[in-house]
Amino acid sequence: MAGRVQIPTNNSALIAMIADEDTVVGFLLAGVGNVDLRRKTNYLIVDSKTTVKQIEEAFKEFTTRTDIAVVLISQYVANMVRFLVDSYNKPIPAILEIPSKNHPYDPAHDSILSRVKHLFSTESVASRH
Amino acid sequence: MEVADHKTQSLENGQAAEEEVDEIENDNVLQFMDSMDAYLTLVHSLSSTLRQGWLDLASARHSMGAYRLNTALLDHTSHPAATSLLVDEGKEPHFTLCKWRSSGNEKLLLGEEQSSHDKSHPQLRHRGATLLSEEKTSFENKASCEIDDQVQKERSKSLSVFGTLVSPKLRAAQLSFETALETLVEIANTRSEMLRAFDKVNQKSGGSKD
Repeated sequence: MAGRVQIPTNNSALIAMIADEDTVVGFLLAGVGNVDLRRKTNYLIVDSKTTVKQIEEAFKEFTTRTDIAVVLISQYVANMVRFLVDSYNKPIPAILEIPSKNHPYDPAHDSILSRVKHLFSTESVASRH
Repeated sequence: MEVADHKTQSLENGQAAEEEVDEIENDNVLQFMDSMDAYLTLVHSLSSTLRQGWLDLASARHSMGAYRLNTALLDHTSHPAATSLLVDEGKEPHFTLCKWRSSGNEKLLLGEEQSSHDKSHPQLRHRGATLLSEEKTSFENKASCEIDDQVQKERSKSLSVFGTLVSPKLRAAQLSFETALETLVEIANTRSEMLRAFDKVNQKSGGSKD
């Protein structure tokens, strides 16, 4: 995105989370929680009341913040904003889709694997021979 | 006759060059497949670790009560993350996890660096060197113990959000999610490798089919 300052090399950066309550609580126990002076957090807890718009806003905020290096997003949440996740192609922050308690990981939906799967399509293989 | 020899040599050179290109292409494809395999293996490992973490959390909630383990208790006052990442943006970004970093830890880590710097200085006498190395070992042990203490303090601070006395299952959940973080950092690095290998393979095959 134009104008975004890259994270300075070898400086510390945060891990952001967009996930269900248990996943976020677990990672907060592991010490990744950050609250800045404006009381902005590096996580969004997604529950039944969370709207798609809120998830989109959180995703856009975390991917444009200069102090975040990795964004963890539950795969079922990523599916709600799949167009946003799939159109994101910057190296940093890295978007990692993770399983959730009630939704196991599905490689077919992973945006990174979707990007590379065309290499294995029959048309792609035929075009190289 | 000479012209024929020259033509044959050119053909052989061309074939050798083509074989070399094919070999490089095969290496790129192998590298891509290896990184993709590593990525999937790590994700599978992450799923197991997270499952254990969720189970421990559920057990902790059962023993402590749901009112003691919910997001309403989270600390919303300004505080930095105790666990963060170091990012090295080279040809491909590389992530390193820094667990439980605090100002105390940084001072101790600086002390460790000083001690390792001192090692590079030559020893004057063998007898003195032995004493010196013993002192350094005890300093390193002391520094290591202090770091461990600091890490335990940070862990306890993180748990204290949910009360002074917490279930052992909550501590177990904390460790599970710490392990999950380590796996996630490996996944992030493997993802970078995979994308880089994919770009190389794509370049060779003449662009992607998006």
